[in-house]
Amino acid sequence: MRVSRSSRILAVGLLTASLVGLTACGAGSRTGAETATKVACDFQNPPQATTINVLAYNSSAVDPYSNTMVSSCTHDNVTVKHDPIDFAGQVQKTTATLAGDTGTYDVIETYSFVVPDLAKRGKLLPLDDLFAKYKDTYKLDDIDENLRKAMSYEGKLYGLPMQTQVLTMVYRKDLFEKNNLTPPTTFDELRDVSKKLQDSGDMKYPLALPWSASSDISTAYKATLNSLGKNFVADDGTTPNFETPESTKALEEMKSLLPFMDPQATTFDQPKVQQQLYNGSAAIGIMFSGRMNDLVQQKNTKLYDKFAFAAPPAVEEGGKQYGALSVDGWSIPFNTKVDKDLLFQLLGSSVSEDASKASIPAAYPARKGLDQSASPYAAAAEAAIAGAPPAEAQPWVPPITSATTDIIGSVILGKQSVEEGTKAMQAAAEKVLAEQ
Amino acid sequence: MRRREFWLLVTPSVIVMFGFMLVPLYRTVRWSFQQVEYGAPGTEVGLANFAAAMSDLRLGRAVLFTLGLTVVVTAFCLVFGYILATLINVLGRRWRPVVLGIMLIPYVLPHVVGAVAFSWLFDTNFGGIVNFLVNFVSGDALGEPLWFIEPWPNRLIVAANAIWFMLPFAMLMILAGLQGVSTETLEAAEIDGASPLQRHLHVIIPSIRGVLGFVLLIFTMDVLRIFDSLIALSPQAVALGNESIMLYIYNVAFREGAVNLGLGSAISVLTILLILVLLYPSIRALVKEAQAA
Amino acid sequence: MTIDLKPAGDTAPRRGAVATAASIAERDATRAHYRSRRRTVAVVSALVLAATCVLMVFPFIWATLSSLKPTDVAFSNPPVFVFTPTFQPYVDLWQTTNFYLYLANTLIVAVISTLVALVVGLPCAYALSRYGGVASLVLLVLALVFRALPRFAVVLPMYEISKSLGIYDTTYALAAALIAINQPFTIWLLRNFFAEIPRELDEAAMVDGCTRFSVLRRIMIPLMGPGILTAGIFVFLFAFQEYLTAAVLTDVSAKTVPVFIATQIGQNLPLLQQASAATVLLTLPVVGIAFIAQKYLVAGLASGAVKG
Repeated sequence: MRVSRSSRILAVGLLTASLVGLTACGAGSRTGAETATKVACDFQNPPQATTINVLAYNSSAVDPYSNTMVSSCTHDNVTVKHDPIDFAGQVQKTTATLAGDTGTYDVIETYSFVVPDLAKRGKLLPLDDLFAKYKDTYKLDDIDENLRKAMSYEGKLYGLPMQTQVLTMVYRKDLFEKNNLTPPTTFDELRDVSKKLQDSGDMKYPLALPWSASSDISTAYKATLNSLGKNFVADDGTTPNFETPESTKALEEMKSLLPFMDPQATTFDQPKVQQQLYNGSAAIGIMFSGRMNDLVQQKNTKLYDKFAFAAPPAVEEGGKQYGALSVDGWSIPFNTKVDKDLLFQLLGSSVSEDASKASIPAAYPARKGLDQSASPYAAAAEAAIAGAPPAEAQPWVPPITSATTDIIGSVILGKQSVEEGTKAMQAAAEKVLAEQ
Repeated sequence: MRRREFWLLVTPSVIVMFGFMLVPLYRTVRWSFQQVEYGAPGTEVGLANFAAAMSDLRLGRAVLFTLGLTVVVTAFCLVFGYILATLINVLGRRWRPVVLGIMLIPYVLPHVVGAVAFSWLFDTNFGGIVNFLVNFVSGDALGEPLWFIEPWPNRLIVAANAIWFMLPFAMLMILAGLQGVSTETLEAAEIDGASPLQRHLHVIIPSIRGVLGFVLLIFTMDVLRIFDSLIALSPQAVALGNESIMLYIYNVAFREGAVNLGLGSAISVLTILLILVLLYPSIRALVKEAQAA
Repeated sequence: MTIDLKPAGDTAPRRGAVATAASIAERDATRAHYRSRRRTVAVVSALVLAATCVLMVFPFIWATLSSLKPTDVAFSNPPVFVFTPTFQPYVDLWQTTNFYLYLANTLIVAVISTLVALVVGLPCAYALSRYGGVASLVLLVLALVFRALPRFAVVLPMYEISKSLGIYDTTYALAAALIAINQPFTIWLLRNFFAEIPRELDEAAMVDGCTRFSVLRRIMIPLMGPGILTAGIFVFLFAFQEYLTAAVLTDVSAKTVPVFIATQIGQNLPLLQQASAATVLLTLPVVGIAFIAQKYLVAGLASGAVKG
């Protein structure tokens, strides 16, 4: 198969021609604009061409807001760019872009978990003045006050909320009907229901939880601990709660669920849990509400019409749910060189009424008073919001999380005993608090 | 060639290599003696980073894992690469380009991309075809190996992936080397009654000693620095003790909360020393060969 | 190879030939034995080669299949083998993301780094192949050591330097880094090729009045055609393969395809399927080059082998 010189040149020529032709086929033509709602984004045209880079991970809940920002505000001298990136990538890029005096991104997606810590370290711009200025233009008063508070630190607003995300439970209503089961409201019931599903032979590992030992497992531990009534740190702000009986119980309760979960659950992030549900490898899942709408899409799975939603169970009868309430929103980094006024216009238009309405049912918008009836999981989300434990909105939460994630992982994997684990977590948390 | 000519011809390349690499290298060495993050000047801490690195069990595990992986992958690729080269050597003009072309595919793919595709084969969530085939053939007898959370299955897929993308290189090098084996010696051996195995062991392998040494050298250098593929294949690397040295540096210097460039740089320096130690025999052989010439 | 003592079909005993019926049968049996053994060996070796080829290419084939399946069965478990193929992930990838930009970036970086690496490396390699002094040896050894360095030791400071120089996230910075990182390999490879050209040619030319530089320009480089092409192809491919350096030195403007694919690992459907489409779109040109330029790649590796 000796390729002659002329045929080689021909091959190269064809390749180049096809690439050029493909480019003409609209490369990047539908970026952000495919299903994006276009709203008014009437900023004062900057004197020179300005590119604005937006950092936001992809999920069907966040995409409508990112896409609206891109499609509505790219006009005149302004180009808004948003690259696809997974959640782990966003976390990494956020750290990188906020590290020095100049960063790559001008708008970053933030959530209530990280806002106090970033605000305290001066990484985000306070938005109160801009909020007051554009309140009427974008009807920002309609954004739920509690959610705005969740994105504030020491009374100042650091992130403009776009949506709430709450841990919600999804289950296979067909299998539940078949086995005469009702959605569990406590961990005891959860174990019971899972066991029945296992015994019925329908499902080997019915429970799917995102317990990725490099990140999500910490959210799971926190949800369990909060359900039992304790935060990471006691109310006095100086004593970590990792060696309380609730902490021990939290780890033990988590371990009690392992027999019903895929043995590789500690490598699962939320997309993998979704995949398990798509493939029919699991019957019950608990994830943030932004991941729920994907499950009922026909293009994603053949089981799209077999899912139902409910609030997650509480660990103990009468307690708060194994739950977490997170607010997703937009922030402006301290080191952006773009005009802050212009940037806030992007934020405002992204969460405007039309855009928020269009994001239903993929997302649960932060705006009050919108019609959620199209959303299959809205009722479950509302019940979840009502019963979720209050968030611990303190700057020590992210560093304590980083310091304890590996320990939680090793306890759940059985590499350390619960006792050793809680001791190690306590020591790590004390160290973090000392440095605060 | 006169010295002046030599230096004139060599200088641009020297500037590029040394300028672009020595300066960052110097920075890394400086950082290794500091506690430092990006965007902020560091504070001198003397040998604290080195002490912390050397007393960290995790680094010890990473070194053991990386060395073990290097040995296994190199040994397998040398042996199997030799076998493959011998088999391909007798292929005719029609088949040789096809086989060589196919064999080149894993070698030219970016490692991270190849590893992602490789990981899908073993991940049931993504239609793990390997799991499916294993169950199909063994009729569910072997159950399902937990490729991503058990240490040894994970090591198996990491090694399999490393072999997958490095075997073509070994095979091609040895194949090239086989072209230089003198046919007279081979025929003489055959006439003397040597069996095929003896011919391989006593005639062919000694005469491609240089090639095998070179392959060994490259493999040692490259597998020791394995990183990209572990990102996709071993998300639980820390918990399983399957971190490679480079992955450890990455985790320490980037991922885990505060950026700890000082510690990461110290480990880089230690790794360089390790590599120099491993390279020393080859360098000495090179020098001797040059002096003999 | 046995030599037939008698023409076929003639079984009459020859004078002087030790051709009893028994020994003929024995010889025929031995011949048949060797022939069948050769055949078994041929069959076994064909099987081994075929199996190896299948295993080598299998992950790529599977990724391609996943990218062509309809989204709801792309990653289903158990995997489906019968489906109606669709190009939608490719269309979506091309139109809804900036993939064409990443591909263009990768190409630009590859072209720049190849050209400059050759321009800088050729004179150096030539000099190293002709000058026998200590400096030559030291340079070669240093180049070897540089090739062995862990990337992090070099790339993390490059991040800082590029940020302070304002060239962070540009294709030039990435190309420069790659040129430097790949120089050791380039000069080693080219030096081996140069060493195959006899010195007498240089000397003859210089006796005729050429300077060293014009020897290089007018005589060596034309002779080195295949060698230059080989080195060029290798450096070109390295740009496509590089992940770590690109991940550290690029962000939004200069992102290359391997970096893009790595950021899609944690995505859910349908973006994950687009990632597999991106994998295929990256691999095809690379594999195409490998097939077309196979002769040069093998020659390049061979030169390393022969000269060690």
